[in-house]
Amino acid sequence: MNHVKSKTFTFSGRRKKFAFATCISILAMAAIGGWLQNQLLSSSFFTGYVFIGCLFFLTALNMRKRLPFIPNIGSARFWMQLHIYVGLATFVLFGMHVKWRVPDGGLEIFLSGLYFFVAFSGVYGLYMTRILPKRLSAIKEEVIFERIPAMRQKLAQQARAVVMEACESSEVLAKFYANRLIYFFETPRSFAYNLSPSGGRKRQLVGELEALDRFLGEDQRHASRRLAVLVRQKDDLDFHRAIQGRLKIWLFAHIGVTYSLLIVAVVHGVLAHAFSGAMP
Amino acid sequence: MDQAEFSKHMPLRGILQNDCRLIEYRQGDIIVREGDYGSSAFLIIDGEALVSLKKIAKPILGRNHAHQKSFFETISQLWSNSKYSEVRELKSNSESNTGTIGQRSQGAQTRVFLHDIPRVIPPGQSVALHPGEIFGEISALTRTPRSATVVANKKTFILEIRWQGFRELLKRHDAMRQHIESQYRENSIRSHLRETDLLKNLPQASIDAISDTTIFESYGSFQWHQNFRSTKEKDIADRILSEPIIAQQGQYVDGLIMIRNGFARLSRSRGDGQQTIAYLGKGQTFGFRELHHNWETGQQRPWMLSLRAVGYVDVLKIPTSVIEQHVLPNTSAADRPPLYPQANAASSRRMISRERSLDQNLLEFLVGGRYINGTQAMVIDLDRCTRCDDCVRACAATHNNNPRFVRQGEKHGHWMIASACMHCMDPVCMIGCPTGAIGRSEETGNVTINDSTCVGCSTCANSCPYENIKMAEINSPRGLPILSTDGPTPILKATKCDLCSNQPTGPACQHACPHDALARIDLSTPEAMIGLTER
Repeated sequence: MNHVKSKTFTFSGRRKKFAFATCISILAMAAIGGWLQNQLLSSSFFTGYVFIGCLFFLTALNMRKRLPFIPNIGSARFWMQLHIYVGLATFVLFGMHVKWRVPDGGLEIFLSGLYFFVAFSGVYGLYMTRILPKRLSAIKEEVIFERIPAMRQKLAQQARAVVMEACESSEVLAKFYANRLIYFFETPRSFAYNLSPSGGRKRQLVGELEALDRFLGEDQRHASRRLAVLVRQKDDLDFHRAIQGRLKIWLFAHIGVTYSLLIVAVVHGVLAHAFSGAMP
Repeated sequence: MDQAEFSKHMPLRGILQNDCRLIEYRQGDIIVREGDYGSSAFLIIDGEALVSLKKIAKPILGRNHAHQKSFFETISQLWSNSKYSEVRELKSNSESNTGTIGQRSQGAQTRVFLHDIPRVIPPGQSVALHPGEIFGEISALTRTPRSATVVANKKTFILEIRWQGFRELLKRHDAMRQHIESQYRENSIRSHLRETDLLKNLPQASIDAISDTTIFESYGSFQWHQNFRSTKEKDIADRILSEPIIAQQGQYVDGLIMIRNGFARLSRSRGDGQQTIAYLGKGQTFGFRELHHNWETGQQRPWMLSLRAVGYVDVLKIPTSVIEQHVLPNTSAADRPPLYPQANAASSRRMISRERSLDQNLLEFLVGGRYINGTQAMVIDLDRCTRCDDCVRACAATHNNNPRFVRQGEKHGHWMIASACMHCMDPVCMIGCPTGAIGRSEETGNVTINDSTCVGCSTCANSCPYENIKMAEINSPRGLPILSTDGPTPILKATKCDLCSNQPTGPACQHACPHDALARIDLSTPEAMIGLTER
């Protein structure tokens, strides 16, 4: 019999280590900031430099992903953990930098807005990457996002073929297909569905198909069952598109705004240096 | 051989007709390569073959030359990767260029030959085989790599005997069986016994006694991969019941069973079916607990579980009397398994000690799909995978923009075994490659394909039961298809995951997954999978 003697790696163990290291780093930053103020020095430049350093470091995850072949710089999963915890630490760092007040200058408000967008989209992304994969894996079929349009077309063709075959003896199913199913099979789902995908439409259409049974002969009932299977498959496909699409669009937005944040943060830094003589 | 020794349903003539073929080799033709896997033995009919005692360089055998990329070469992938798919520089194998080896067609087959035999195999570093002599038989019977390279020294006629026919010949022909068995005992069994945990501390005299009495048995079919896809269609209960039984629950314990090659399913009767409890692989043993219990208590417990061959299995069986005489007395109490509880005890329903193990259905999935064959299977936790395809992009980035796997595969719950080469324990893809292009690294165990010696025959791709080898039409650096000279057909090359063997990072897919979803793990034992499920 095979058995394992010792545990090696657990997510909770890693979480504790990184959380501990993050807390220690934040405390160290607070201590240094406090010491600078006690020396009657401004801590803003110190926290600002650390903050902008963190922003560049957080952006580096994307660079790391694009360079999978470079050795000795750590795996992407390690970088992702650093990204998460450094990202969380920037909330405290931001507060220390603005001295826990609401920014007042136009540029500062804009910069803060960008930061909060990126930071909260990051937190939302973290939540999504932990929740949405489970919803996808609950579906029987695994689908590659780029293949969805082709698969949708194939399902539409199959549905059309089933109906064409069945409509030779009666037009009940053909009319139902033309009135209720053709739009469902041939087009992607609505924006509202993509925001909040649910199985309501599928259940409704399958229910309507079942209600047609009393008007159908044996062969057409068989065709109706096949259509119901195709409806379920199309719904699964739409669900994949909605969830995978959300995961991709989120990342696109998070990364896109990050670059704006970096540019504006650098401008802010330059201006802060330029006008540092006027600072108290 | 006497035809009367053979049964009516399997006559000697039938074996010769169905399981043998006469092959003509010309001088210099490589008959078998060291490290190749094969399921045939060879009988020399006429001519002479040389067995090289010297290790022949990998490029001469057509193997991949393990070239680790330098730091600059690694970085240069940023700009040097082609924008077209499957681009190849038109260069031939370096050994062909130096005139050491050549290729020639013999009927539908391609053969690799040595231009100058003494240059590759110097005189005195080979053994000559003459008519009537057999070679390659141990490798064919035990599915182990060929231990030496054999080359035709002149025009030679050889009878290639498939393992099915060879096994039948051994059953019917005493002299041949005794010869093979003595060779096997001499060369393999002793070292195998010594490598077994249970026996490694025994005195030499005991090892010799065990070796002399050990029975060598094979179950299942070497060609399991040929009907694997249709077998998978069957109901799981029927599939298990159709597996050859090595030991049956409830029957007399006649010895200790040691798995020498392949995999076996450990199952227990449950209602009308069989429930998989675990799987055993190379080096693991079965029956020691029953043997210990019976020896210690004087009772006669039968096999408490059944052992069935998954695909094919080679086992060594050490008779009970030998275990009781040589093994149990020489094993410390700490190394002995626990006794079974009394039949009327409250805990008697549980015959196996509770250990960390895989979920029952996941275990059935891994064994039923024969994923337990994989030493580097790509397992994806779909509950963590965000479908970002960073793994696919990383694979493409390290393979000239050609991903070598598809992020799809069979699912069980939230676990998916992706379509990537698993670098199997039993690499059936390596059987029959005419040029030796596909080979296993001695250092790492990775199975890789040498692109320059691959002739695109698709033998490996057709053999892979998991469909993880793809044939790709190759293009020039300008993106134009490269056509063969003997006809306007595109040249094909076999492509598959090479575990980024030339990259300093190791498998880029695993390295690039930011969500801890993808892992390359050894499924030949359940430990790594248990580790994944218990993260």
